[in-house]
Amino acid sequence: MEALLATGIGTLVAAGLWLILQARSFSVVLGLTLLSYGANLFIFAAGRLAPVAAPLALPGAARLADALPQALVLTAIVISFGMTAYLVALALRAMAETGTDHVDGREDGP
Amino acid sequence: MDLPGLAFAILALFIGAGAVPLLARFGRAIAAWAAAATLAVAALPLLPLASGALDGVVVVQRIAWLPEWGLDLAFRFDGLGLLFAILILGIGQLVVLYAAYYMPREDGLGRLFGLLLAFAGGMLGVVLAENLLLLVLFWEITSVASFLLIAYKHDATEARIAARMALAVTGGGGLALLAGVLLLGRMAGSYALTEVLAAGDLIRADPLYPVALVLVLLGAFTKSAQFPFHFWLPNAMAAPTPVSAYLHSATMVKAGVFLLARMYPALSGTDLWFALVSGTGAVTLAYGAYVALLKHDLKGLLAYSTISHLGLITLLFGLETPLSAVAAVFHIINHAIFKASLFMAAGIIDHECGTRDMRRINGLARFMPVTAGLGIVAAGSMAGVPLLNGFLSKEMFFTEAVAQPALAGYAYVLPAFATIAGILSVAYSARFVHDVFFNGAPVNLPRTPHEAPPWMLAPVGVLVALCLVVGLLPQLSIGALLHAASTATIGNEPPAYTLAIWHGFNLPLVMSLAALAGGLLWYRFRHFLYDLHERYAPNLSSPAAFERVFNAAAAGARWLLARLDSVSLHRYLTLLLVSTLGLAGFAWHSASPSPLAGPLPPTPADPLAYGALAALVFGALGCAFWHRQRPVAIIFASVVGLIVSLVFIRFSAPDLAMTQLSVEVVTIVLLLLSLRFLPAETAPRRRPGRAGLNAILAIAGGAGVAALAYAMLTRPFETISGWFAANAVEGGGGTNVVNVILVDFRGFDTLGEVAVLALAALGAHALLDGLRMQPQVPGPDRPGDRHPIMLAMLMRPLLPLALVVAFHILLRGHNLPGGGFIAGLITGVVLVLQYLAVGIDVTETRLRIDHVRLFAAGLGIAAATGFASMAFGLPFLTGTHGYLGIPLVGPVHLASALVFDLGIYLVVVATVLMVLTALGRLSQRELAPGRAG
Amino acid sequence: MMHLPLLPVLIPLAAAILMLGAHRADIRWARGIAALSLLGLAIAAILLLRQAATGSVVVVELGNWPAPFGIVFVADRLAALMVATTAAIAVPALLAACGGLDGRGRYFHPFFQMQLAGLNGAFLTGDLFNLFVFFEVLLIASYGLLVYGGGVARARAGLHYVVLNLAGSVMFLIGLGLLYGTLGTLNLADVAGRLAVVPVADVAPVRTALALLVAVFALKAALLPLGFWLPHAYGAAAAPSAALFAVLTKVGIYALLRLSSAAFDSPPGAALFYPWLLPLALATVVVATAGVLAATRLATMVAHLLLLSTGMLAAALAEGGVPMLAALLYYLPHTTLISAALFLLAGRIAAVRGESGDGLVRAAPMPGRGWLSAAFLLLAVAVSGLPPLSGFLGKLMLLSAAPATAAGYVLWVVFIVSGFVAALGLARAASTLFWERDAAALPATATAGQAGALALALALGFVPALVLGAAPLSAYARATAEQLAAQQPYLRSVLPAGAAAVAREVRP
Repeated sequence: MEALLATGIGTLVAAGLWLILQARSFSVVLGLTLLSYGANLFIFAAGRLAPVAAPLALPGAARLADALPQALVLTAIVISFGMTAYLVALALRAMAETGTDHVDGREDGP
Repeated sequence: MDLPGLAFAILALFIGAGAVPLLARFGRAIAAWAAAATLAVAALPLLPLASGALDGVVVVQRIAWLPEWGLDLAFRFDGLGLLFAILILGIGQLVVLYAAYYMPREDGLGRLFGLLLAFAGGMLGVVLAENLLLLVLFWEITSVASFLLIAYKHDATEARIAARMALAVTGGGGLALLAGVLLLGRMAGSYALTEVLAAGDLIRADPLYPVALVLVLLGAFTKSAQFPFHFWLPNAMAAPTPVSAYLHSATMVKAGVFLLARMYPALSGTDLWFALVSGTGAVTLAYGAYVALLKHDLKGLLAYSTISHLGLITLLFGLETPLSAVAAVFHIINHAIFKASLFMAAGIIDHECGTRDMRRINGLARFMPVTAGLGIVAAGSMAGVPLLNGFLSKEMFFTEAVAQPALAGYAYVLPAFATIAGILSVAYSARFVHDVFFNGAPVNLPRTPHEAPPWMLAPVGVLVALCLVVGLLPQLSIGALLHAASTATIGNEPPAYTLAIWHGFNLPLVMSLAALAGGLLWYRFRHFLYDLHERYAPNLSSPAAFERVFNAAAAGARWLLARLDSVSLHRYLTLLLVSTLGLAGFAWHSASPSPLAGPLPPTPADPLAYGALAALVFGALGCAFWHRQRPVAIIFASVVGLIVSLVFIRFSAPDLAMTQLSVEVVTIVLLLLSLRFLPAETAPRRRPGRAGLNAILAIAGGAGVAALAYAMLTRPFETISGWFAANAVEGGGGTNVVNVILVDFRGFDTLGEVAVLALAALGAHALLDGLRMQPQVPGPDRPGDRHPIMLAMLMRPLLPLALVVAFHILLRGHNLPGGGFIAGLITGVVLVLQYLAVGIDVTETRLRIDHVRLFAAGLGIAAATGFASMAFGLPFLTGTHGYLGIPLVGPVHLASALVFDLGIYLVVVATVLMVLTALGRLSQRELAPGRAG
Repeated sequence: MMHLPLLPVLIPLAAAILMLGAHRADIRWARGIAALSLLGLAIAAILLLRQAATGSVVVVELGNWPAPFGIVFVADRLAALMVATTAAIAVPALLAACGGLDGRGRYFHPFFQMQLAGLNGAFLTGDLFNLFVFFEVLLIASYGLLVYGGGVARARAGLHYVVLNLAGSVMFLIGLGLLYGTLGTLNLADVAGRLAVVPVADVAPVRTALALLVAVFALKAALLPLGFWLPHAYGAAAAPSAALFAVLTKVGIYALLRLSSAAFDSPPGAALFYPWLLPLALATVVVATAGVLAATRLATMVAHLLLLSTGMLAAALAEGGVPMLAALLYYLPHTTLISAALFLLAGRIAAVRGESGDGLVRAAPMPGRGWLSAAFLLLAVAVSGLPPLSGFLGKLMLLSAAPATAAGYVLWVVFIVSGFVAALGLARAASTLFWERDAAALPATATAGQAGALALALALGFVPALVLGAAPLSAYARATAEQLAAQQPYLRSVLPAGAAAVAREVRP
């Protein structure tokens, strides 16, 4: 299971990197989304994958999952949501200002 | 803090430098008087110390400033300091008087005198500094002041360039000096001059002595215009003549030789010192003297003669006999006196004739006899004519040249060289006298010269009188001062010497006479020399060369930057990736070697997990592969998001799953909305070759992170997180540990997080506000049927219902999966659907909210809970919870965290609303441009 | 005053909230609130400095939860120094912005306040994930301030800046995840405690996690090869924003300093800067110096001077040792304040010069040339390290603190030559801006408000302050360096019982 999760995270990161290297604002947005998925899963993985109950401290609950990484991930998800929204707006603005969706603002760019 | 006298003297000059420009508003006379008064006031604290200094008493005054860095405001007053203080303040007075008459009426004099005083302050600081770092500090002040004074007439291009050239040479030399001084400090263990001078043997024995020596000499030689750093000085003549007379003959250029005198006990006495100092001096002496004769510009001649005389002084410091140091000091005095007067005379001539070209100004003796008389005497002193002060020091020089033990076997070399140098200096002095004051009549001068006003001649007169007095009664006039200064220079009592005009008929006298005769002969054949010079000497103008070098450097810098920085995000990201991978790899491998896999046994994987992984990989790779078909790419991305939330569910993180899902929906809508204004398909890549590089980078990065994840997952670890589960109910009053962490244990993170959310939405709004964009692809929905009726009908009841659900989730969040974020996002999703159903206008009119105020409310509520606890003297965000008895309902469990969560809810809702509206308005504007704004 | 360490964050946060609440009201309200906020901030900063100067380390446990479980704010000498520096440049920057810039777009003042809140939070927090959150706060605020005013240059530079920093945030998260996944804690002091007892098998992953954090901080500090974005971004930003950004890069330096002090004498952190940091730092200095020569606008020249200072600070960091850090901690406020003043000067010149802006081209003589050239002289002398101003003192400290090794002497050469070249570049710029006159060009018609001039005059006050206050400041810097080297004051104040006493459980 560990290997699977690691592979999944690696794939997300690789795909995300490939996308942000595409030098088109939309691809960059997608790439950063995938990258943050990867990062979130990574933090989540820091809590390990033992078969445990959801972190609800109910009376007589079994061993609970590590709640701290979950809280961190939740924060990270929300922050990356805000950042994505901002980046989309900025990409549109850059498109309007430069007339191209190339991240360098010039078509002759790489 | 009681200010020691020496510090006060310097401070007074700087205060004057600041005050005079202000006083100049009340007229030139006021400015001049103020400047003169400042110089006088600066002299006051030195007077009581003077007699002591003459008797060889060394006064040191110290104010600790940055002791741990060895930089103290420490000053020293001895014979050498006294001598230079007299030059700086005395000649300064004369220059002020002279300038008051020399400078054109329209010049307010404020700036000139301000800068001159600032320079004087720096110069006095140099000669009175006891701390070597302090000396460097003042040294560079003089460089900057000279830069500003040379550029005084900054409308003239050559003045601007000359100023920057002088800054480059002298300022650069100063930095070399700084390095040298730091080295000396390390050798001697202190920057205090007293200790450094005492540590001479230590320094000379140090392996780094040659380096330190060269660095210090670089400082000295650049400042004193020694070959090959001399070229800045002639161009510095672009400065007004009073400046030339003061800085570039009497004082600043003497700072270099002063440094040689100052460091004499610490650095001299080695072959390297002899070779470098006397060698450079000799070359400079000869070169300056030779060129001086060939200059047709009056000030040019004086400039090169200055270079030559500075070379002579340097040469004398280089010679090993202690008496030669005495001769050097003596010549410093004499040269300052006659050269300053010559510059002033040249200024008067320039002033009266409107030109400085000696091929045109001739026979001025008839027009301005007094100036002529003064000039002739001063020039005679420069040539070393007997009965004048110049003669005495030159005689000493010849004596030392003869007595010089070095160059064994070639005893005649130095005397011969000295005689030739003498010949050359006589020659250019002769030209100054003959060409200017006699030699026929003036050649079409701009204006007919008259005698200058007496007050303008007065300073020249004073200096020339000094030439005579020192020349006739040396021992009486200058003996004590010279002795004191020499003692201070050498570090102990100088060997016996007599200052007399007549030493009997000896070799030096013969050399002097030979020099006089030869000089006149040389001058006689000057035209022949001019022709040679015209024909063969390379005509290089150093300002142009300097500009060329500087511009070449700038161009080179541009080239370098263009190579390194292509202003391309791809380049930046590549660098970031490569650096990070490199650093991470370095870190892993430089650690004590350990296997990638940890000790934990792998947990068995079920088919479901394999399926999930397959889907994840499929989604991610598909998104990467089909990113050109953007709608398709979005679908792939959403698949990935879905799988991620499934993973969260699988590993018992319900809150995460819910958050992920709802974020997913909102994000997708955002992307779809924005997509309409971007090209639907990415243009094909221009550099296919780059795909390989990108692939390698992407795979490397992915593999690296995967490896780290695997290494982490297969290792057990000790964590603090047990505490959270244990304290959630007791401390946080909630059973949903994740939520309790979010709103209580780590509530401050959450506060910052919602702040980020709010700022992101506001930023997006600010970016898109009032922006008009044409859609790249006309939307599939035309205005008519763009809102599907079914959805609209569905939405009407759904909205309130969904709000109720969201509120329920918010309330239960503290105990069961849910909470402000999820509730807010669910509300957001509903609003998105609402928007898709009926469009932005209806959505807005239906719930008319000021989004910004909503942010204020949300953040305000969240922050308020924190402030509330502060009011109770508890730290920010201290939570409280308890059972609130409500009639008929019974006890209800309430936690202050719930209020906090409500704030979060509001911010999330506001974020979704604001971003959607901003994007929605964009898309709408192109449909009905009239409603833009 | 137990809340004191929190005020530098809470005051601007509250101010921003109030501004949003009153966003419909006249802009004068926002300005008033901003002024009050800065007043409070200044007072808080002074109190913090005075408290820290006693050597005491004040800890606030947010939500009253004990460290390492809750988040703590820690006010030691270093944090107080950084907060004070931030407050000092915020005042003139805000004043300059109130010259009308703040009315030209939306939400300038809230972004400005949140920028301050983010910066101060990053300086004061004692929790690594909270540091991440405050990084995001200060970044999103800086995005807003950078693109504020619009225009092609800002959009382009902004896009690069944002994407790079988002990538950096991902790296930060992965690093934190790995750190938590191995050490099981996020509190810096606790991390330091755990690092000492890491089992040998885990040293490599922990060290890698630290390396990831170092890479992120190097990106923020704009250390080459990660710093090329800086001149474009800062050169494009409006002068007040750029002035505030002068402290932004210092966050990276601060974080590196904090991390190295907490982690680098443990097995995983040992010699993590060696041997790569010094060469990169010196390369940064060299390239930035070339940039100063190459600049065609004053603002880009100043941006490169800022980059240059980053290189010098990083070099000092690489050399390490108490004297070097003491020098660094005097040089850091100096370069921050002077660069900010220079950005304001560039903005002022652009404002009075009209369409030729701050371009280094010959133009009609500018109004107010006299005092502007004097200001330029002061700041140029200070920034290029010529005597007698703070730049010289700072450089003197760095040079004399450099060890008597080959590396130390290389550092000498690079620092001295770069200062020399920078001085020549500035002299050329001054000659073009103030002395050359284009007879053909019409005199500038742009009517610049007085706020910019006032702000600049205020910022010029930094110059004498840094020189006259050199002795106390350098003493404070040295004490700070010693406190960082000692570590214990910080650790003991956060975890009085020590990391060993913290309750932990083994997972999975």
